[in-house]
Amino acid sequence: MHKLRKALLIIVAILLAAVMLLPLVWMISTSLKNDFEALAGQMNFIPKKPTIDNYIQGLNGELMNVPIMRWITNSLSIGIIGTGIILLIDSMAAYALARLQDMMFRKILFSMFIASLMIPGVLTFLPMYMEFNGLGLINTYAALILPYTAGAFGVFLLYQFFISFPKEIEEAARIDGANKWQIYSRVVLPSSVSIMVTLGIFTFMGIYNDFVWPLYAATSPDMRTITAGIALMSQGSYTQAYGKLMAMTTIAALPVLIIFMIGQRFFVKAIIQSAVK
Amino acid sequence: MKPTLKSRISSSLFALPYTLCFAAFLLFPICYGFYISLHDFELLSKEHPFVGLSNYIAIFTPNSYENALFFRGLWATIQFVIFSVPLLIIAGLAIAMLVNALPSKLRGLFRTFYFIPYALSASVMAVIWLMMFDTNAGFLNSMLQKLGGQSIPWLTGTPWAWVSLIITTLWWTIGFNMIIFINALNQVPEDYYEAASIDGASSWSKFIYITLPTIRPVMLFVMITSTIASFNIYAQPFLLTRGGPGDTTRVLLINVLDHAFIRKEVGSASAMAIIMALIIIIISLVQYRLTYGRKEGN
Repeated sequence: MHKLRKALLIIVAILLAAVMLLPLVWMISTSLKNDFEALAGQMNFIPKKPTIDNYIQGLNGELMNVPIMRWITNSLSIGIIGTGIILLIDSMAAYALARLQDMMFRKILFSMFIASLMIPGVLTFLPMYMEFNGLGLINTYAALILPYTAGAFGVFLLYQFFISFPKEIEEAARIDGANKWQIYSRVVLPSSVSIMVTLGIFTFMGIYNDFVWPLYAATSPDMRTITAGIALMSQGSYTQAYGKLMAMTTIAALPVLIIFMIGQRFFVKAIIQSAVK
Repeated sequence: MKPTLKSRISSSLFALPYTLCFAAFLLFPICYGFYISLHDFELLSKEHPFVGLSNYIAIFTPNSYENALFFRGLWATIQFVIFSVPLLIIAGLAIAMLVNALPSKLRGLFRTFYFIPYALSASVMAVIWLMMFDTNAGFLNSMLQKLGGQSIPWLTGTPWAWVSLIITTLWWTIGFNMIIFINALNQVPEDYYEAASIDGASSWSKFIYITLPTIRPVMLFVMITSTIASFNIYAQPFLLTRGGPGDTTRVLLINVLDHAFIRKEVGSASAMAIIMALIIIIISLVQYRLTYGRKEGN
């Protein structure tokens, strides 16, 4: 009875996994078909005439002049630069809030940062657009990076880590004559690699995957992110060119899937942390 | 020992860069948004005359254009919230319990399988499902035809458009709730279950009397995050159904952003965005009170 139940559970789990993975497998399978076969309405997972033309043409930018490589470069750049900035400013702020008791306005700033976690994005979206528009920064990397730096999640995550960081280590460094910056950069940061990687992966995936803001903040063909670009292709000239569209989509998904596979442990940790506020 | 001014300044400098970003890209936009909502703010025009509360009044004036836009969008959004949130919670918990019931060697593997879609962007998700749902060449209709059934207008018929949006949302985001629930289930002390087993409790009564009460705070968290996420729905109808059929799936956020960027009425759209944000904040506060009240009761 117990064995039967176990076998049944595993079968259910496998069926569910098949349902969850099928669309992804179908995406890859279609990307290897020519457009004619992709539109034929067949259910074959193995293409009859497998081809990588969709990928080659897509990466060359030959398809309808879509600069797909440029979009990927944009997305990777803003993801990496944005994550770098956020890791730096969030860790500095969190360190001050957690450990530098003589910081000015410490309590009020802390309450404001915490309260901001409840602010829905829709409240800042339009004025943020008008702000960047007024500064002439629409269609620049600045517009695609800076809005993410205001998020308080990272400050909060790191604050929780720093507050439980053993004080003795800092004291020892202070007695050795280290100043605050040296303690932060040479003692605290090197001991925070795991939590920084957690925040880094979470932040990078958030920026790389963000959809609505880059859709409006970068409208020139050169400044599109891959996420917004793929969306526009699916609504425009690529409708029904499923082979090509799926090749582009696979390329777009690849960076996050790789990071997800490698860093899943960290990503999960960030999500769980968000729940135990 | 009183800290010196120099020390206080150097300590504050650590928090300065983030505080400036916070001020520039959160506090300022919030204030600016209120300012915009009090003006006739045509996107391309240089003149933005002050109009007081009339953008807000228009939204609440029956039969006005703004009234129809806002409340039809709100109604579509609320329908989506009502359909999706219970499923997101029940399915999330069910999948978490399934994963936890598996032999420990298999748990990590299956957790990853169910979690993968969550790592994808909205547009990758939407493009994949555009192809799955395609009326003529899509995978689902091909399968239905093989099985001798009728094609379904997944994205162009009612109620199928809603069904499709909910299928994609479940597929895309269920991994998040699953992860939260797995973590919560693992926190339930093992001896509670053992004690109940000795008393001869069934699996069902263990679930009702031990599991559910213990994970209640997490349940509330999932309920609120799912409600807020569903309230903010945009990408799925924007990319999959394009608001159709007709205006059925034109949710509030689509209407607000179109009002701002297509009709260029940023002032009026800002008023709508502020009301929408207030609704979301009220939902969060109610949840907060529920959790807080529970703690006080203990």
